[in-house]
Amino acid sequence: MKQIQLPSGMHDTLMEDCLKKQELKDRIEAVYASYGYRPIDTPLIEFYSTYASVFPSLKEEELYKFVDQDGMLLALRTDMTLPIARVCATKYANSEPPFRFRYCSSVYKVRKSFAGKRNEVTDCGIELIGLNEASDPEVLTCALDVMEAIGAESSTLEIGNVEFIKKACEEAHLTEEEGHRCADLIDRKSMVELKEYLHTLDLSEDARTFFMRLPWCSGEDALQEAEAVCFAPSLKAILQKMEELQDILNAMGYEGKFQFDLGKAPRLDYYTGIIFEGYVTGVGSGVLSGGRYDALFDKLGRPMPACGFGVKLDLLLDVCSVTVEKEAVVRFPKNKLKEAYQLAKDLRKERLVQLVCGDVEDVEVIL
Amino acid sequence: MSLSIALTKGRLEKTTVDMLKECGYGVDGVIHKNRELVIADTVKDIRYFLVKSNDCITYVEHGVADVGIVGKDTLMEGGKDYYEMLDLECGKCRFVVAGLKDKNPLHKVGHITIGTKYPKITQEYFQKKGLDAEIIKIDGSVELSPLLGLCDGIVDITETGTTLRENGLVIYDTVAEVSARVIVNKVSFKMKKKEVMQLLQDLERIVQKNASRNQSE
Repeated sequence: MKQIQLPSGMHDTLMEDCLKKQELKDRIEAVYASYGYRPIDTPLIEFYSTYASVFPSLKEEELYKFVDQDGMLLALRTDMTLPIARVCATKYANSEPPFRFRYCSSVYKVRKSFAGKRNEVTDCGIELIGLNEASDPEVLTCALDVMEAIGAESSTLEIGNVEFIKKACEEAHLTEEEGHRCADLIDRKSMVELKEYLHTLDLSEDARTFFMRLPWCSGEDALQEAEAVCFAPSLKAILQKMEELQDILNAMGYEGKFQFDLGKAPRLDYYTGIIFEGYVTGVGSGVLSGGRYDALFDKLGRPMPACGFGVKLDLLLDVCSVTVEKEAVVRFPKNKLKEAYQLAKDLRKERLVQLVCGDVEDVEVIL
Repeated sequence: MSLSIALTKGRLEKTTVDMLKECGYGVDGVIHKNRELVIADTVKDIRYFLVKSNDCITYVEHGVADVGIVGKDTLMEGGKDYYEMLDLECGKCRFVVAGLKDKNPLHKVGHITIGTKYPKITQEYFQKKGLDAEIIKIDGSVELSPLLGLCDGIVDITETGTTLRENGLVIYDTVAEVSARVIVNKVSFKMKKKEVMQLLQDLERIVQKNASRNQSE
C-alpha cells in the first residue's frame, strides 16, 4: 500500500501559515538581534548519551532515537539549549564569556499518539551564557519585548523562581525525593494530592501552610501573598530579590505586562533561579518559556551561569495575522512567451508576479 | 471573559450539574437538554458541553474548555497537563485489586497476570508494590477474565463492590479512592483568573455545605 500519511505529531506548514511563521520569526529575531544576540545553528542529530548524561530526569520515551553506522544511539534534538551549551563548552572553550546566541530551529519530542499535540515545533530563542542572575532583567526585558512583538490580542509573562521552593524544602528538612514530589504537585496545582501528601510528611504547621498556599501565590498580589506565609528569613530574601526585579521592570515601563507565580516549579533538577512562561489568549499552552540554568555547564566540564528562553512559533499561527501580498498574474498565449517574460521581469521590480501560459489572444496583466 | 466548562456525561453528570445549580448557575439548559451540544448558562457568562470522561481531559489540555469536571479515575489514567484544583467529593468510588476466593493475586508466586481497563494505574500500583505483573487490557466486563482463567486478578473501579461479589470475586486491596475533580487549563488559569477563581470558590462553598450536611446526618 502507498504510504501517504504523516507520522504522528507531524504537520505540513502551507502557504499562509508559512508566511505567518516567517513574519513571526522576522519580528522576534529582530528583537533578539537588537539585544546583541548572534545566530547559531547546530545539527538536528545529537548522540543520545549527550542528552542522557546531562538531563538525568529526561524521559527516554520522549526522544526520537535511532542508530548510526557504528551502532551508536542517536537522538533528534529535543531542545536547542543543550546543543548550544555543547558548542560553548567545546568550540568556544578558549573564548571568554559572555556569549549571546539566538536560534530558530526545529526541535522534536515524542508525544502520546492521537492527542493532537505537535511532535515537531520550531523553537525561536536565545541563550545568554556566562552571566549570573544580575543579568536576569536583561533576559526578562528581552522576553517582554518579544511578547509585544508577537502582537497577540492579550498576553502576559509569568515569572517564578525555583529557588524559592527549593529553599523552602531545605528549610523544612525534606529529602530530595520529597522535595521534588512536593514541587511537582505544587507546579501542577494538584491541590487534593498535595494536601494528602503533606500530611504524610513531618512538617511544622508553618511549613505546611506555606506549601498549601504556594499554588495560589500568583497574579497581582503574588509577592505579598507569598510573604505572608514565609516561614524562614532565607525565603524572604528571595522574595526581596523578586521585588527588586519587579521594580526594575516597572521602571522600564513593563508594568502590567508581567505577573508572578511563586508556585511555578518545573524541572527542579535543571532550573536554578528565575523561570518564566509567556501566555497569549487563544493558545491553550505556554508559547514562550525559559529560565536560569546555572548548573548545566558543570556537567559539560565548563562551569558557567546561563539563562535563556524560546518561543514555539507553531503555536502562534492561529493568533497572529499577516497581510498576504497578492501577486499580479501575467497571462499569455504560447506565441507571445518572450514578450510576456519581459513584461513580468519589468513588473517584478515593483511587485510579485505569477506567469500563466493560457488560452488568451494577447498578453494580459491581472492585478 | 466567558468561561467554557466540559462536564462529564454519565455517572457524574447529575451530581455535578446539581452542584452548579446550587451555586446559583443557570444550568436548566443542561438538565433539560435536547440535542444541542453546547449549552449556554442562563445566568452566567458560561458555556457548557457534555463529553465523555477521557475527552474532558483532552478538551481542557488543549484549552478548548477552560475548566473540566471529571473523575479522578480518568485523570489517573490520562495525561497531566492541567491544574487539578478542587475535589468535589462526590461520585466517590475506589480502584481495587480483586481475584477469586483464596487466590490472592498479590500473594501468587510466579507470573502474575492482571486484567484491567486501566493499564497505567495498574502498572503504577504494581511498580509501587515492587511486584512484576503482566497487564492485559480488557474493555468491558473485566470481572469475567479471572473467572475464565485469563487472569489471576483484576484492577477495576467499584462503588459498592456488589458486582464483584456477585461474580464470586474478593477484594484484596484498595489501589486508590476516587471522586469528581475540577481541572483547569493552565493558560485559562492565568488569563481568566477572576472567572476561574469565582467558579472554584462557588463550588467549594457547596462542597463544604455538603460535608457539614453529611456530618449532621
